[in-house]
Amino acid sequence: MRAPIPPIPPRKSQYGIDPSLVRKRVCELPGMTSVLLKELFPDLPEVIYPGEEGVATIRKATEEALRNVDMSKIKPEHSVNILASHHGFTLLGGEPYAEMLKTIKDVIEARTGCKNIRLRAGVGLRFRETEEYIKRYGLDEYFGGKAIGVAPIDEGIPIETEIGTLYGIKKIYDADWIVHAHNSDVREVHFHRQVDRAVKPFGMSYARIETRSTYHQNLGPRAANFTARAIFDSPFVQSKFAFACFLMVAPNGIMGVDADNDLYALNDRVTYLGCRYYGKMMTLFGEIDECIVALDFPCPVVYVFSAGVIYANFAGANTDLYDLDNPLPGYTWYTEAFYGKRGKPLLDDIPPLNPAIKMCVHNYAWTGYPSAFFSEHIPTVVVGREQAELFNRDPQNLNYMKYAVVAETTEAAMEFAYKVTGTRKVLIFDGAIGGINLSEPLAEFLLKRAPAVSERVENELLPKWLRQRGVDLSLLKRAAS
Amino acid sequence: MKVVNLMAVVDEEKCKACRTCERVCPVQAIKVENRKAIVDAEQCRGCAACEQRCPYYAITMVKREEPVEVAINIDDVDYDKVISLCRCAKLNPEQIICYCTGTRAEEVAAAILKGARSPEDVSFMTGARTGCKVECIQPILRLLKAAGIDPAPPKGGWQWYGQTPTVWDIPEKVKQKYASRGFYFDEDIKLLERVIEAPLQGRREN
Repeated sequence: MRAPIPPIPPRKSQYGIDPSLVRKRVCELPGMTSVLLKELFPDLPEVIYPGEEGVATIRKATEEALRNVDMSKIKPEHSVNILASHHGFTLLGGEPYAEMLKTIKDVIEARTGCKNIRLRAGVGLRFRETEEYIKRYGLDEYFGGKAIGVAPIDEGIPIETEIGTLYGIKKIYDADWIVHAHNSDVREVHFHRQVDRAVKPFGMSYARIETRSTYHQNLGPRAANFTARAIFDSPFVQSKFAFACFLMVAPNGIMGVDADNDLYALNDRVTYLGCRYYGKMMTLFGEIDECIVALDFPCPVVYVFSAGVIYANFAGANTDLYDLDNPLPGYTWYTEAFYGKRGKPLLDDIPPLNPAIKMCVHNYAWTGYPSAFFSEHIPTVVVGREQAELFNRDPQNLNYMKYAVVAETTEAAMEFAYKVTGTRKVLIFDGAIGGINLSEPLAEFLLKRAPAVSERVENELLPKWLRQRGVDLSLLKRAAS
Repeated sequence: MKVVNLMAVVDEEKCKACRTCERVCPVQAIKVENRKAIVDAEQCRGCAACEQRCPYYAITMVKREEPVEVAINIDDVDYDKVISLCRCAKLNPEQIICYCTGTRAEEVAAAILKGARSPEDVSFMTGARTGCKVECIQPILRLLKAAGIDPAPPKGGWQWYGQTPTVWDIPEKVKQKYASRGFYFDEDIKLLERVIEAPLQGRREN
């Protein structure tokens, strides 16, 4: 079997333990191996990153993609906000996204003569996260001191939409023009269900708490993402929108960069790629009958990656996340909200968290996202008292350790998990690029199941998923040719 | 229920009296007086909003020697009124409205019945909206509205601006316009209405 792939290293952050405390990675333990994603699904696209040219290839691809974008509205005397989100910096180490942002700035400046170009980087629930990335990737210096992180509790502005008043972050919109710089990685499919994925930040990382609460509490699981469309379509946002530029991401790496003045055209391309490539990975993960999950990535519990799939999605992989006929996956905030006082769903047809997950070994993951639902319903072992203490100090996770136990070492945690669960199948969420780190029995299992999954997605599921989202594949193909 | 185990502490040397902390605090526990931010330790719910947004990094969260338990005793109120308030706000009483603290709609309703008149009061009494500070403002505003309360946002503050639409407010023409793009408005209304009417699991029903 193949040696494990080097995982994404721990990252210094106020939301995680000091990297020096991560003494062992789960993939370093005996019996761990790796599977390349191309071995599982040979039709996954060729990627430009990782590659021999490093991030230089991202710069080239961004310049190429922007060549066909109309920037004539931007005049030398104008101001431009390039809008970024935290999520992009978690992809493949973060450098590709940072490089795309720098390139967008350079191209706008060269093409339009505009010098007043700022970076506004939105966040999720860790309000200083993009501040950390701005420093880490030298973006403040690159943008001449005009790069800031913005948070959903910062000063807001009302935005009139066709469903009523919603609210954006004032500093997102305080320029003549905005450029939406994002990525196609699917990440929270349990929330957006691959509906208007490309538009989502307008209802989320660029939005105030009122709007985000609308998304997660007022509209319902399959109507939620309409908040983003309502804001983007508003006359106010349309009057400022210049263009969008996206890192196009597949589970095995970055396929390229796509840019468009028409966000919905780009959105359809993102929908197709998300359904096809990530849909296969998630469907394959849904086949897993039993396993131990190991969290080992510099992100909050729900966002740790394996094969481009986040733990939150694996926790709901017992249902088809892409099928909009399923109202609720095993995990989404609406699902969590609908658990009554006896710890059971209020409706009988609400699916449980993925019963294939027999235990979770939390070797390394961050705070800054409410995660107690997971430790309450999935047996969880946290490695190290320092990490447990960090969770006990996080206002979003005061109940996480109420249900989890602490092991002193990674080895002890895994031994405990093996003994208690009786399974030797281990799936590691450590961001391994181009493949999956996992145990040998699980590698054999996935390699055996992948061909049939691929065929089912291509012939049966993908056409249904695209139909549900109004994406016409023939039109996409025609536009591409 | 929330166990408040942290408290904001201001470094007076670093504080520039910019009032950002005052504008983001969900329980109005921090105020600028005599050009320095001052924390009301009794009022502070340890949410770290001020610490996370202070532009001068003048605030740190320190562990309290004695943690404070914040909870509403729903036995103190008429539970039929709790049910009625929740259903009027289109929520199941047992529905969790704050994912960080696990606060349920019934606790917010009970706080309102016990005198809460604003989201700030609700947060102080229940602990809701003192975790991530982001996701639960709307159900709190919906419950206040259901009780006939129309609170005003804190003057000059950024804590919250107003209530926003629910799925029941989506105009029919909007639903039709986007029907083919994967938005399942009517189906989600049916789901949410089933949840609202779902039997309660707690002891009150027994």
